[in-house]
Amino acid sequence: MNLFLLGASHHSAPVNLRERIDFTRRGVVDGLAELAKLPGLSEAVILSTCNRSEIYAACDDPRVMRETLATFLSTYHDMPESELVPHLYTRTDADVARHLFRVAAGLDSLVVGEPQILGQIKDAFTIASEQNYTGVFLNRLFHWSFGVGKQIRSETGIGEGAVSVSYAAISLARKIFGDLSPLRIFLVGAGEMAELTATHLRSQQVRQIGVANRTASHAATLAARIDGNAVAWENINSELASSDIVVTATGSASPILTRNDIAAAMKNRRNRPLFIIDIGVPRDVDPASGEIEQVFLYNIDDLRSIVKENMARRQTQVDAAELMVDTEVDKFMTWLRSRAAIPTVIALRERFDSIRKAELARLEPKLAKLTPDARARLEEVTRLLVEKLLLAPTEQLKATTDEESVAAYAETLNRLFKLQDQVSSPESEIRNPLNDSVISSPRGRDR
Amino acid sequence: MNSVPLVMYIVTSIAYAVYFARRSDTAGRCSTLMLVGASLTHTFVIGMHTMQVGHIPVVGTTGAISVFVCLLALSYLYTETMTNERAMGVFIVPLMATLQAIPAVNQTVTARPPVLESAWFAVHVSSLLFAYASFALACVIGVTYVLLFKEIKAKHLGFFYARLPSLQVLDVMNGRAITVGWLFLTVGLAVGGLWLAQLQPNTADPRVQAMSLLDPKIFIVLLIWLVYSFELYARYSIGWSGRRAAVLSAVGFAIVLLNFVPVGYFVTQSHNFY
Repeated sequence: MNLFLLGASHHSAPVNLRERIDFTRRGVVDGLAELAKLPGLSEAVILSTCNRSEIYAACDDPRVMRETLATFLSTYHDMPESELVPHLYTRTDADVARHLFRVAAGLDSLVVGEPQILGQIKDAFTIASEQNYTGVFLNRLFHWSFGVGKQIRSETGIGEGAVSVSYAAISLARKIFGDLSPLRIFLVGAGEMAELTATHLRSQQVRQIGVANRTASHAATLAARIDGNAVAWENINSELASSDIVVTATGSASPILTRNDIAAAMKNRRNRPLFIIDIGVPRDVDPASGEIEQVFLYNIDDLRSIVKENMARRQTQVDAAELMVDTEVDKFMTWLRSRAAIPTVIALRERFDSIRKAELARLEPKLAKLTPDARARLEEVTRLLVEKLLLAPTEQLKATTDEESVAAYAETLNRLFKLQDQVSSPESEIRNPLNDSVISSPRGRDR
Repeated sequence: MNSVPLVMYIVTSIAYAVYFARRSDTAGRCSTLMLVGASLTHTFVIGMHTMQVGHIPVVGTTGAISVFVCLLALSYLYTETMTNERAMGVFIVPLMATLQAIPAVNQTVTARPPVLESAWFAVHVSSLLFAYASFALACVIGVTYVLLFKEIKAKHLGFFYARLPSLQVLDVMNGRAITVGWLFLTVGLAVGGLWLAQLQPNTADPRVQAMSLLDPKIFIVLLIWLVYSFELYARYSIGWSGRRAAVLSAVGFAIVLLNFVPVGYFVTQSHNFY
């Protein structure tokens, strides 16, 4: 059994192409149902986000699967294969695991360490497993990736620090005030930027928002739209004294708030902290105001440089994260290789059990006079005998993880016990109910 | 026996430093558990000393420091549980370790002179030690406030920004610690004064006779009371919260330490019961 991945992401395909192969348009469930009809494919998960469309599969022959899936993708999305194929990438086995682990950790994202992707992977997996398109291999692979994603985020700084201007502003506000919900926000300017900021703050449960604008009607319009209240332009100074966060975003050519305005407001508010976010260009607030005790003044460039610093800091964590991915890929592959011995184990057990049953059948005439109780005991004793005999060899086989030794063992056992006719195709292995008794539960990781 | 808690405090300091640097939850939980272990062991050691001499060993400065460290550990643990915030440990546990070194070196347990055999003594000393523990907490919270404040003002959000709670939380915690400390300080001083008024006419002990406002230990503790009274007044009446309050609480605790250790050992004529 092999792992296989075929997909396109923001690294390989432009947005207009990614849009066309987006599975979410027709629903991932529909895509999975179509996928399940393909021959040679035993498990599948579709990961479809705005930055990537990927099909994860467990299959017999990766070379065949490459063709099959490329054709599937082009017919399903109704676009010429020749146009699609140059933008596709494929991975097999260890590289599938590495790719998924990197994606889960946010290492493959547009913004390194971006948090949403892990949830998207979980959703993709849940859909596929609810529809029974996943089995031992993809179950283990995906659960493993959740752990890797979580571990890397918590043990490295890869997801830390705001990487957008508005989030940087909110994170600062939280560091100054803690809980934002009881605060009063004051927007000076009623443009697009002011509205955007207000929307972000609203999502932080901020309830009181005041809006002032030179043109009073604009302030009233925005106030109505964001459920705030309009403040008359002349009352800016008194509003300053009662607000905790001030956002200025006007097109004014000269500063609207001087150092004196703010110093006076601070006196009235008895030095409670005031956070001023000046996103106007040119600046709306006299930069000297930042020197006042308990006033925190940030302009758009300050916020941008914080974002830049955070991005750079995330970048420094990439190497450590990649190392963790490597370690986890190795561990996962050890598990995957240990699976190679499973068909031999099953065949060996079946062989022994068939001998046992044959012998019991042959002795049937002599056993006929036994009481049902004694019959049951005989049955149990023979079964236990076979199990005891096979215990050590089974454990040894399962502990063998390098491919050569597995092959050598299989070959030897085949000859010694004439298993040839019993080692059937791996397909039967997947559907074999023995799987889960031989291997521990597919849920969770061996940690 | 005081060296056992000392070693535990040192190891716990290292654990908190590891937690602060790496921010792994496991390291954090381990640090807390280690501090719980250290403070319980310390309480046990103090209990043993109590059995040995028949009263809580707070007569000499050395014993008082040991009890102070133990109280500090317990009140810090209380704060940590209440706020679910471990970042302060890296600042405060090393303070415990440093102070605990004094009783660890000087192991003698001072016997109680007859003049101190009074319930007033227990109230006086325990209130003051608890007040000092609160001031120590306030100081550490204040220091972290200033560190975070500086980063935000300088617009270079780095090490402390990622690790400390918000300025608002630190400010509220600082205010509470100062208020609690001030209350106990006031009670401790008032009890001391009343007790002295009863004692002085009837006792010939030179130390009791030396107790006056001009004795360095008593003079400085009144200064401390003034500093913290001013801090509380400034906070609630003229809006001196935040950085100013933080700086004041650091200054206040520096004087407390000065009065507690060097003055307590070498200068005072009245409080030298060792």
